[in-house]
Amino acid sequence: MEASASGPASDAHAIVVEGLTRVFRRQTAVDHVSFHVARGRFFGFLGPNGAGKSTTIRMLTGLLRPSAGDAIIEGARLSGDPIALKRRIGVLTEELPLYERLTGEEHLLFAARMHGLPTLEARRRTQELLEFLSLADEGGKLVVDYSQGMRKKLALACALVHRPSVLFLDEPLNGIDPISGRVVTDLLRRLTARGVTLFFTSHVLDVVERLCDEVAVIDHGRIVAQGTLAEIRAQRSLGGEASLEDVFLRLVAADVRREDLSWTS
Amino acid sequence: MDVLIALVGLRFRLEARAIAGSRGRKLGLLLALPALALFSALSALAAFALVQIVSRSEPGLLLPVLSAVATLFGLSWALSPLLAGVAATETHDLTRLLSYPVPLRTLVVSSLASNLLQPTVLAQLPPLLALGLALGGPRFSLALVGLGLGLLLVLAAGQATGIALHALSRTRRTHDRLVFVGIALGLLLSLLPILMLSRGGSEARRLLVTLLERDVFLVSPFAWGARAAVHAGRGEPLEFLGFSAAVTLALIATLGVSTLVAQRLYRGELDTGEAAARGAARWSLRLPGAVGAIVEKELRVSWRDPRLKAVSLSGVIGPLLLLFLLGQGRAAGIGPAQLFAVASMAGLGVIGSNALALERQGLGLLLGFPVDRLAILVGKNLALLVLRGPVLVSLALAALVLAGPVVALAVACLVLLTQILASGADNYLSILFPIPVPAAGRDPNAPISGTRGLGAAVMGLVAMIGALAMSAPFALLAWLPHLLAEPWLWALTLPLALAGASAVYFMAASGAARLLERREQDLLARLRGEE
Repeated sequence: MEASASGPASDAHAIVVEGLTRVFRRQTAVDHVSFHVARGRFFGFLGPNGAGKSTTIRMLTGLLRPSAGDAIIEGARLSGDPIALKRRIGVLTEELPLYERLTGEEHLLFAARMHGLPTLEARRRTQELLEFLSLADEGGKLVVDYSQGMRKKLALACALVHRPSVLFLDEPLNGIDPISGRVVTDLLRRLTARGVTLFFTSHVLDVVERLCDEVAVIDHGRIVAQGTLAEIRAQRSLGGEASLEDVFLRLVAADVRREDLSWTS
Repeated sequence: MDVLIALVGLRFRLEARAIAGSRGRKLGLLLALPALALFSALSALAAFALVQIVSRSEPGLLLPVLSAVATLFGLSWALSPLLAGVAATETHDLTRLLSYPVPLRTLVVSSLASNLLQPTVLAQLPPLLALGLALGGPRFSLALVGLGLGLLLVLAAGQATGIALHALSRTRRTHDRLVFVGIALGLLLSLLPILMLSRGGSEARRLLVTLLERDVFLVSPFAWGARAAVHAGRGEPLEFLGFSAAVTLALIATLGVSTLVAQRLYRGELDTGEAAARGAARWSLRLPGAVGAIVEKELRVSWRDPRLKAVSLSGVIGPLLLLFLLGQGRAAGIGPAQLFAVASMAGLGVIGSNALALERQGLGLLLGFPVDRLAILVGKNLALLVLRGPVLVSLALAALVLAGPVVALAVACLVLLTQILASGADNYLSILFPIPVPAAGRDPNAPISGTRGLGAAVMGLVAMIGALAMSAPFALLAWLPHLLAEPWLWALTLPLALAGASAVYFMAASGAARLLERREQDLLARLRGEE
């Protein structure tokens, strides 16, 4: 597969981002970000808290207007028809906006119908997803009574129900139990093998290292590195033994020299 | 006994620390205490005066009147956890103590004893002393024993309700139903004084006098303490002992019920609805397309959220109350003209319902779907019309009774067409003035007031005037047969009026959908407080 995070944009790219910028009250959250992701890639988007990951995802999914720049997702321009863009993508955002007084099953059916699935197909996919994510026994429970992990699984199911060609997943494994986590990661791997492109953020770096074909690291709103792990290691003259965590800490210039708190010694 | 003292002491310490540690609670207590003291003093004065007046004017009615007052007080106290919203049952929460090797009855008694020092309970002491003085005279202490036992029974009944509600409300569906029942009950109680003062109130007063004359409140356990006090004051030892024993037995029985309820509910021996929730009927997907999905979603969410449900249903009260008040002031009663005016006002009540605001965080989800924005607005407006259906039905029924079936049809049509046009105008308000999502950590569903600003108030007025102007020609069509005294014309004008209003609505909604398309990303940013 083509490693294309820094290469020129082409038809083989599912995501093409060009100079994407967002300014909030004079503060630049995302600063001229550009990258490409080839179709069927597992793309990790990393960065410390407040670096601009979620803002970038919100812009790429049409939920936030960019201050400058544009992006093309599966041929649909952000600045063009937003409905066409939303047909192609599935989104799991950090906030998990869910209707708390629908049951899990109703919520998933609602999402399926809003994506235009026929009734029978919507019901079939709903049942299958609930069983797949071990939510079948809780399908009749109101979302307000779901645990954080169950909410995450339901939101993930909503993102998957219409079979999108690009998936934006913001911290999809946070709060999910290890068994469901394995089920989800196996599913995501199978999806990429079938040509679905995954745009994935996580703070669990060993998971990112294990799953992602390539990564981009954002810090203070700017991309500080992009490519495969091997390419980034080579760019930064890090040895082949350096883990993604080492690379990440080096890239965001994290000060990890402080060994103790002054007032605890 | 040591355990009981330790538990009561623990509760007092915790409450004192909670007040000392919170500036808000301290301020709340400082503000509430003078008001409570004033209320208590006034209640004491009223209780003393009531006994004096009834003893002198109708001595035979003293027992029935006091029994009725005590029953009313007992019932309202027992229902107070429900009326105050289920959250107020926290004072009866036993869950944190269940893990200790202490019998449940001790926990129940300790909770009751701990609540004795609550300011609202202490505020009952001055009226109690005033009643003791008025009833007992030289036998003040005996009268006070009877009244004290009566108060303890009232507190125990409140505790039993509180424990049951707190345990039941652990299931969300039950919690929501209880909150709704509390809101509905509160609304009905607040309407009672108006009904009592109205023309029809004389019937209610006659009923009350009959009940007092027959002394039916004798059977109410809440009355037995007061009756014991009256007999003590009259120097009737047998009756005093009889009622004191009865109220003591009722108190023990109530504590027993509390223990039993706590035991069965907290240990999961009683089904509180979770099993039913698991086996809930599946969504039937009756309505087609995205509009159908939105309508069904809106109806389900609104019906299950007790506050939204209460808001929807309380919309019925306003127009009916207005009709009722109009009827009070007119010797000739209510005619078609008054009905039409109220119908138009009821329809305009849709302004400010702000369909998108109810979404709050869910709006990001809704706008993330690849659905035509016109479908979203139409779906939300249709759901709103269904939720306002009771207003239409109740006004049409009122018109049917007051002016006959033809006028009822015209009234229903008028309500519907003004609702349609008002919801079309309100979409603009909803898009231009979204209500921000509460800050992180705050309850996302908490009511927010005053955040839409002066601009929204002005725009609301403009939207209302706009809706009024848009609906005027169609309202005229609905009125015309009445003005011309040609009822057959309604067969022509009503369909015309509805069709015209629907056409104008679709023009307004299409404009709003285009506005939403242009502004949806800014709208989401504003809802998050980012702009």
